[in-house]
Amino acid sequence: MAVPVEEAIAALSTFSLEDEQAEVQGAGVLVSSERGATSSPIEYTDVSAYRLSLSEDTKALNQLNGLIQEGKEMASVLYTYRSCVKALPQLPESMKQSQADLYLETYQVLDLEMSRLREIQRWQASAASKLAADMQRFSRPERRINGPTITHLWSMLKLLDVLVQLDHLKNAKASIPNDFSWYKRTFTQVSFQWQDIDSIREEIDDLQIFLSTRWAILLNLHVEMFRVNNVEDILQVLIVFAIESLELDFALLFPERHILLRVLPVLVVLATSSEKDSESLYKRVKINRLINIFKNDPIIPAFPDLHLSPAAILKELSIYFQKFAAQTRLLTLPAPHELPPRERQYLIANHIGTIRAEHDDFTIRFASSLNQLLLLKSIDGADVDWCKEVKGNMYDMVVEGFQLLSRWTARIWEQCAWKFSRPCKDAIPPESNGTSESFFDYEKVVRYNYNSEERKALVELVSYIKSVGSLMHRCDTLVADALWETIHAEVQDFVQNTLATMLKTTFRKKKDLSRILSDMRTLSADWMANTNKPESYLQSHGGDESKGNFFYPRPVAPTATQVHCLQFLIYEVVSGGNIRKPGGLFGNSGSEIPVNDLKQLETTFYKLGFFLHILDYSATVATLTDLGFLWFREFYLESSRVIQFPIECSLPWMLVDHVLESHNAGLLESVLMPFDIYNDSAQQALAALRQRFLYDEIEAEVDHCFDLFVSKLCEIIFTYYKSWAASELLDASFLFASDNGEKYCVQRMRFTALFKMTRVKLLGRTIDLRRLVSERMNKVFRDNLEFLFDRFESQDLCAVVELEKLVEILKHAHGLLSKDLSIDSFSLMLNEMQENLSLVSFSSRLATQIWSEMQSDFLPNFILCNTTQRFVRSSRVPLVPMQKPSVPYAKPNFYCGTQDLNSAHQSFARLHSGFFGIPHMFSIVRLLGSRSLPWLIRALLDHISNKVTMLEPMLTGLQEALPKSIGLLPFDGGVTGCMRVVKENLNWGTKSELKAEVFRGIKEIGSVLYWMGLLDIVLREVDTMHFMQTAPWLGLYPGADGQILQSQDGGDSPVVNLFKSATAAVMSNPGCPNPTSFYTMSKQAEAADLLYKASMNTGNVLEYALAFTSAALDKYCCKWSAAPKTGFIDITTSKDFYRIYSGLQIGHLEDSVKVSSNFEVLGDSVAWGGCTIIYLLGQQLHFELLDFSYQVLNVAEVEAGLLTQAHKNPHVAQGWETLLEAMKKARRLNNHVFSMLKARCPLEDKIACAIKQSGAPLHRMKFENTVSAFETLPQKGA
Amino acid sequence: MARAGGGGGGGGITNAVNVGIAVQADWENREFISHISLNIRRLFDFLIQFESTTKSKLSSLNLKLDTLERRLQLLELQVSTATANPSLFTSTTTTSA
Repeated sequence: MAVPVEEAIAALSTFSLEDEQAEVQGAGVLVSSERGATSSPIEYTDVSAYRLSLSEDTKALNQLNGLIQEGKEMASVLYTYRSCVKALPQLPESMKQSQADLYLETYQVLDLEMSRLREIQRWQASAASKLAADMQRFSRPERRINGPTITHLWSMLKLLDVLVQLDHLKNAKASIPNDFSWYKRTFTQVSFQWQDIDSIREEIDDLQIFLSTRWAILLNLHVEMFRVNNVEDILQVLIVFAIESLELDFALLFPERHILLRVLPVLVVLATSSEKDSESLYKRVKINRLINIFKNDPIIPAFPDLHLSPAAILKELSIYFQKFAAQTRLLTLPAPHELPPRERQYLIANHIGTIRAEHDDFTIRFASSLNQLLLLKSIDGADVDWCKEVKGNMYDMVVEGFQLLSRWTARIWEQCAWKFSRPCKDAIPPESNGTSESFFDYEKVVRYNYNSEERKALVELVSYIKSVGSLMHRCDTLVADALWETIHAEVQDFVQNTLATMLKTTFRKKKDLSRILSDMRTLSADWMANTNKPESYLQSHGGDESKGNFFYPRPVAPTATQVHCLQFLIYEVVSGGNIRKPGGLFGNSGSEIPVNDLKQLETTFYKLGFFLHILDYSATVATLTDLGFLWFREFYLESSRVIQFPIECSLPWMLVDHVLESHNAGLLESVLMPFDIYNDSAQQALAALRQRFLYDEIEAEVDHCFDLFVSKLCEIIFTYYKSWAASELLDASFLFASDNGEKYCVQRMRFTALFKMTRVKLLGRTIDLRRLVSERMNKVFRDNLEFLFDRFESQDLCAVVELEKLVEILKHAHGLLSKDLSIDSFSLMLNEMQENLSLVSFSSRLATQIWSEMQSDFLPNFILCNTTQRFVRSSRVPLVPMQKPSVPYAKPNFYCGTQDLNSAHQSFARLHSGFFGIPHMFSIVRLLGSRSLPWLIRALLDHISNKVTMLEPMLTGLQEALPKSIGLLPFDGGVTGCMRVVKENLNWGTKSELKAEVFRGIKEIGSVLYWMGLLDIVLREVDTMHFMQTAPWLGLYPGADGQILQSQDGGDSPVVNLFKSATAAVMSNPGCPNPTSFYTMSKQAEAADLLYKASMNTGNVLEYALAFTSAALDKYCCKWSAAPKTGFIDITTSKDFYRIYSGLQIGHLEDSVKVSSNFEVLGDSVAWGGCTIIYLLGQQLHFELLDFSYQVLNVAEVEAGLLTQAHKNPHVAQGWETLLEAMKKARRLNNHVFSMLKARCPLEDKIACAIKQSGAPLHRMKFENTVSAFETLPQKGA
Repeated sequence: MARAGGGGGGGGITNAVNVGIAVQADWENREFISHISLNIRRLFDFLIQFESTTKSKLSSLNLKLDTLERRLQLLELQVSTATANPSLFTSTTTTSA
């Protein structure tokens, strides 16, 4: 059991408690101690042990402390008082008969509230009389009892402060008299039937007088004090004490400083209003000193949203105190609103530079002395002097830290008070443009009273306070013993060395004083601490008498009572036990103590006061970093007659909002600091004000604010990463060349600290911010994808390039974000949003959309231009108007982030929005991937076969309209004659509808085939790229004729070899920790090798599509290509497909010449469709021989030849030039198509084979398709 | 409890030697007390810190589990689509066999 405590605790530090969360929040108060060491935890009961005859003083002191405690509670009741009258119900006309009941109920409710006010009234009366009695007792000139001690003086000042504050609150609260008058009215209504109401009435009258008299408490106190005429002395002592403390400003933390500042004017009024000698005060204190203090601090914070001004108090009280009214110098102090603007002093923004430097300097030095201390602890038997120095350093740093914190927090208090005293005059918010909306007063003093620079400075200061606070709070137990030791050493040095010297020199002759000095030694000296110092040290320092007594450090601090007694005794020495002694406390020229000693005593005196704050380390840090007051606005709530202000008026939220809106990278990490204000104010509401409803209001606001904060933060994060990605994807050289390139650069921000916040402390709850953010990010990425698809669905196929670009930006943003935050993988989200999760379906949302778009819009309405390799939208109005959803609206961050980047990318996307070509095909290939692309190809192929089936009856219809046989066109008529013959033969006049229909069918088939051709080009390129990337790993190289060859050396491919040898090498090393993973890797390399090799030889899409079309045509082969009975070519047949197409073509050419726009309707894909069918039916040669337009061209050629020979009649062929030109163009196009087909789908060999041994040709032999995989693909409906 | 005799001008410590001895004993006792209390506070500090680091480690774990869970859901869904249509898979295997 007997484990040494120290060792056990030290063992705990071997646990690794690393935490990646950055300190971007203040220290949450985890355990709040009720009472710190600043006041004695045992109410000074141990004072009597020191036998200093202070028991009377102690009793009085404890009584005052009790009153202070009660008074604070009263003040919080008064401050949080909210009007009941507003909540009282009114009776409707129909229920007037129960008016009496309502009065009774109202009375009962109000009576409860009024009883609290009555309690305050009673309390203040008793407190005033007790304070007055106390003052009188301890200021008797004959002085039978010891005291008052310094602690006692402080308690008097504090109680006085509480009373002043109560009075101030009572004056300021308008709702109290209001409620009271209602109460009184209901009382008269309900009391007429009561028996004994006189006493109650009297009480009510009393209360009315109390409530309606301004400064009633002070007046009462004045009366109580001057019942006996001898409190002036103690009042003067208090004034002197206050002034000296304020002027020295060394040992005061801001709460005490504010107390003194608040009390001082009242003390002055009280001291000068006495009947006797009002000028005696100025004999002890020069009036200029007072005026200086009042002038330096014209505004003193009292309550969170209430301030005091010494000038105003003095002026107002002069009405009540006749004597004081003569003090004209004090009364001419300017009131706060008359002061010249003192922004320099009060506005934090003017000091933030200094504060920043102080903060940086302090944190560095604090951390370094902390490190020294840690180093010291890790070394055994360190040098004693060094030890002392390190600990002394630490002590100095803590003192400095407390003073810094105190100064900074006081600045915030004072700036608030200043702002409250100077409401914004022109409160016209930028967002409400001139609407005559009335503002709350609170908005004028808070919301519109801080400009953005002031908000920034405030955020910065709040985060400095909170971060220094948490820095100090964290090392509480680490530095505690060092601090104790240093304080112990200081005290011992004083009592053992300084006092010893003094006793020997200055005070040798003065019996009384030297007795007090030796008492100090008795009650606090730790003589025995000398004994257990190391022997060696004793010897080395033994002879050195001049250095004084050496004492071994003991990490124990003096108790509050010891400090209390020491301060008392020093005060006794200095004042000589005479309260009436003229002059100040230490600044006394008439004293018999030499200046040097006085100085030492003074320093020790104030140091002792500060020791208590240091001993009370965590409580002091908590007090000094408490910024809860920034939220409270009870006073303004009352004057504005609302239940609560909107959160836009709330200062903490204003700060959070400012950080978020400012997009300031430096400020962003402080964004959680303002939430600490809520923590503080909630703590205050519960612990200090003790009001549940306030806590509830704060909680509601925090809940709301935090939700808002998270959603705003996520918005900012998403926008930032999106615009970052978008700007990276812009062309860099273009940006460099453009004049306003910097517009597209994204200002860097750091979210890493916020992304690591897993424990945001908020009102006692712990919130995992990272999780919230990542959840929202997962959602917003999905929403964005959804939006992009929605947007694509509302546009045509040309938007696919833009879609791909936007998806790419989103993907890049995802990549950037997932470096900092773990979110779902992009492919997962993309698959999810594409509805592409099923293992048995290969269509995706996007593929389906592309297909339906092609079917309903692209194929019917787009026309091909063979030269540019582009499809463009036909100018003709489509047959069926397209029904598309309207383009959905989204914020700019769903596109590229910012407006500028959006416009940059949009102008890029606009280039591709008018046509469909190679870039679009690339986008489609990349977006669909190998998963959905085959599905789309299959769908398109089925479309071809459907179209072929659809064409069949129509073609039959056209066939029937042709004459049985059509001969060659006669040469003798020339072009004109030819055209006439053609017209006679092609008698389709009645079937123009059918003709157009057939044209459209052929055009769609041609479009699909051309589309396949584009796809083929793109896939080739992609495959080549793929091959180049994988070939070196797989040991492949391209052969001379485009084949892929395996490298000679056989065996495994390089990638497999690499991993195998690596694994072998690792295996051979005995120190290998985990060999199995290397085996797995090498196996995976083999698998990869297989997979990549298998996907090396992808098929050729165009060839496949042609083969498919050919197979689809097989069914109609006999109908469209009649085999001649003779076995030889039949030049007069009119049933063959090429005949029909030939007729259609010449008709179309004629039309196109007549109406030039007509040609546009169909484009070049008709030629692709027609020629492909002709080619696949094996009719290419027939077509080239017998096509009408070709024949016409031949005729024209001959004719032209004749003409050039004859030179006779140049006008024969006139009128036909444009038609001939169109025919030539068509022939060129057809030739192009045929040559392409010959290259990609060679049929010649097979036709050659189809000639019988006998020499007779066999028409249309069944030939095998070139692509063998075709067999596995059953035709639809087959 | 001895009081300062007579009063007037305040009194000194009446029994200085005894008080001195008691003060000395008090220093020693309080050394023990502050030692113990400081170490108890250190223990508390440790526990608090342990709690907070554990919390953040758990939350990291939680985040990873969340991601895995979503992945798993996805995989389960994919498997379910496959098992709902066994014919597709069996027919493929027979043809290839």
